[in-house]
Amino acid sequence: MLEVRRLTKSFGALRACDSIDFDVAEGETHAVIGPNGAGKTTFIGQLAGNLRPDAGAIRFAGKDITNLPAPKRARMGLARSFQITSVYPEFSVLDNVALAVQARSGRTGFWRPARGDPVLVDPARRVLEEVGLSSRMNILAANLAHGEQRQLEVAMALATEPRLLLLDEPMAGMGTEESQRMIALLSNLKQRMTIILVEHDMDAVFRLADRISVLVYGRVIATDSPGKIKMNQEVRKAYLGEDA
Amino acid sequence: MRMRILLWGISILVLLVLPPLVIAIGQPFYLDLTRRIMILAIAAISLNLILGYGGLVSFGHAAYLGIGAYAVGILGFYGITNGWLQWAVAIGASALVALAIGAVSIRTSGIYFIMITLAFTQMLYYLGISVAEFGGDDGMRLKSRSQFPGLVDLGDPVAFYYVALGLMLLSVFVVYRIVNSRFGMVLRASKSNEARSRAIGFSPYPHRLAAFVIAGAMCGLAGALYANHTNYITPGLMSWQQSGDIMFMVILGGMASTAGPVLGAFALLLLEDLLAGWTQHWQVILGPLLVLSVIFFRRGLAGMFYKPDA
Amino acid sequence: MSFALLFEQLLNGLQFGVMLFLMAAGLTLVFGIMNFINLAHGSLYMVGAYLAVAATQWTGSYLLGVFLGLAGTLVVGMIVEVVALRTLYDRDHLDQVLATFGLILFFNELVAIVWGRAALFASGPAWLQGHIDLFTGSRYPLYRAAIILIGLITAIILWYVVTRTRLGMLIRAGASNRTMVAALGINIRLLYTVVFGFGAVLAGLAGLMAGPIYNVQPGMGELILIQVFVVIVIGGIGSIRGALVGAIIVGVVDTLGRAFLKPLLGTLISPPAAESAGPALASMSIYLLMAVVLAFRPQGLFPARGG
Repeated sequence: MLEVRRLTKSFGALRACDSIDFDVAEGETHAVIGPNGAGKTTFIGQLAGNLRPDAGAIRFAGKDITNLPAPKRARMGLARSFQITSVYPEFSVLDNVALAVQARSGRTGFWRPARGDPVLVDPARRVLEEVGLSSRMNILAANLAHGEQRQLEVAMALATEPRLLLLDEPMAGMGTEESQRMIALLSNLKQRMTIILVEHDMDAVFRLADRISVLVYGRVIATDSPGKIKMNQEVRKAYLGEDA
Repeated sequence: MRMRILLWGISILVLLVLPPLVIAIGQPFYLDLTRRIMILAIAAISLNLILGYGGLVSFGHAAYLGIGAYAVGILGFYGITNGWLQWAVAIGASALVALAIGAVSIRTSGIYFIMITLAFTQMLYYLGISVAEFGGDDGMRLKSRSQFPGLVDLGDPVAFYYVALGLMLLSVFVVYRIVNSRFGMVLRASKSNEARSRAIGFSPYPHRLAAFVIAGAMCGLAGALYANHTNYITPGLMSWQQSGDIMFMVILGGMASTAGPVLGAFALLLLEDLLAGWTQHWQVILGPLLVLSVIFFRRGLAGMFYKPDA
Repeated sequence: MSFALLFEQLLNGLQFGVMLFLMAAGLTLVFGIMNFINLAHGSLYMVGAYLAVAATQWTGSYLLGVFLGLAGTLVVGMIVEVVALRTLYDRDHLDQVLATFGLILFFNELVAIVWGRAALFASGPAWLQGHIDLFTGSRYPLYRAAIILIGLITAIILWYVVTRTRLGMLIRAGASNRTMVAALGINIRLLYTVVFGFGAVLAGLAGLMAGPIYNVQPGMGELILIQVFVVIVIGGIGSIRGALVGAIIVGVVDTLGRAFLKPLLGTLISPPAAESAGPALASMSIYLLMAVVLAFRPQGLFPARGG
């Protein structure tokens, strides 16, 4: 579904991404892990369309999207959640998700109120139910607890009915119980969705991933099934240490 | 919510009965003043669309007041006094200029955007000054008011007042519908969090440009009304001081609220009128007052009555 | 159109450009480093002009008047910064625009209260009243030549400070990444104050030099300020080099346009039409130029911020 070839991005003298090759098959959950500063954020940025690569190509569902701007990628079905919560704080949870639904529908209007529209509200409600935020529907997003905001992040990405979900540290800043809930949610999602999961939470990564790619200093040093990655000497040295 | 409707109802009622009231007490000046405030309120309402809801700090909005006014003036100069035609040109010309300026400006953001909108307005201001045929720096007198034969005579102060009131309320209603529509939600979302909007698939630029054009057109209508009100058109109408005034109305009243621009227009213009009565140097008082209001009074007047629309 | 005339207008353009540069340099630094949009910069220009005229009359000496004018502008600038502007650094641009707009109203009216609304008469010193002979055979006002000289010297001094001193390094760093500079432990408050003071003095200098050529009157600052904005947009925010290049371009284009567009148009279209179209186009020329630059380089020619 997603093919990345020789992706390169430098900031001055710093090679943030060094000729990265990366694949995601349809229906797969492919995790990307690596120490801080490894270039994960830069990598995600280029996949999502926020950064222009210096070299290399990205193909999504057979189409070359290397230079496609972010909104167009989203409309093609590439959705993302942000590492630092990026929702609409002054809008309610329902409005937030309804906006994502509206983006998916691609239709606009200048007169009829968007808020009461069942075409937008019903799918939004369903997504909120799946994510577990139904009870908080009418709360302002700014007033949500941190973990709930992370759930909202995922909900908004989901509401655009994506073909590929790009999740950037969905578990960031979550306590144990919240993490377990998120893992459960993602387990459900992975049955019907292709997911790229960038995460530090090793528990989640090893439970959810079909394949793991390890990024260190801008290069992919290994791509393999979770079991093999655990055993990989280089990976242990560079990143996992004694954790695994 | 009910409180809001009640307040609106009372205000509209007051505005409706104002003319017979002030005539009865022999103070027609207040009719004039209120009419002027309502016309400029339309300009503020239009600016609120792109500034309050859209987050576009356009410092050149007064340009459209000028374009609308000059459309009426210039057409009248050449003998075309049909109000429908004049006002259609006022709105159309403003929309076109807004399209041109917006297409270039909206590709930028932040400080650039502010300076660019300011610069373009100044350009139009100089254009207005340099065309001597239409009065240049001194401006031009309106030969006759816009004619709406059989419908209304704008020469009648009371009739004109009700026209202004009606158009102001219509503007409020139109902006209200727009900002709550799908289009409006995207505009507001782009202001709230542009990165998120792009990530779900919205392109802010076309929405902002469309809003910019709508706002320009609405302000052009205000300009046409203003020309009829003052009977005299000067390039000063397009000056950046005028733009700043309109911005202050929006801020003072409370951005991103339906009533805000109307409240702000009344507050600022009544304040100016009051101060001008005390001293000819009233700006030396108004200036610091404005500075203080920005520093301390962020939410604006509408914020005092109720929470702004989410 | 003779070459002598063209050259003379080029010099005028350079002189105007130099004054624009003095204003633009301070303003672009404030934009770039403090991310602060200061509309009241024009008021400092005006204050410089007025104070210099007043001080010259009071002391009878031009140079003393210049010195006091500059010092006075610096003091006024510092007071404004501490009292009003400090609270606005963290606010969004809209608040800054509105607050400094209020300051403009205040200063314009204050100046009108003290000195009246009519333009003041300001003459340069007697020893700058003559002309110099140009190689083209015509003569050029000494005063204007002096402005060009002072402006270029200031540009060189600024270049030296910005590229060769530690302060300049901080300024350049701050212009491209403000948060980083603060994170490095530099006293950002002090840096801001210094930068603002710099800008104020430059503006005051431009103002007092402008006195004898343009009108000293309330509102004089705003007339030039918008042109300074155009300079900065063309040159790129935060960049002194951009300010210089932009200023020269704008100064020359504007001056040449005003001088030659009408006669030039007169050869293409009918003279009466050129009579009104000429000045109209001339006054619009720099804004059209800005639009063209923006179409290709939305960040200006030499933006300080990378990517």
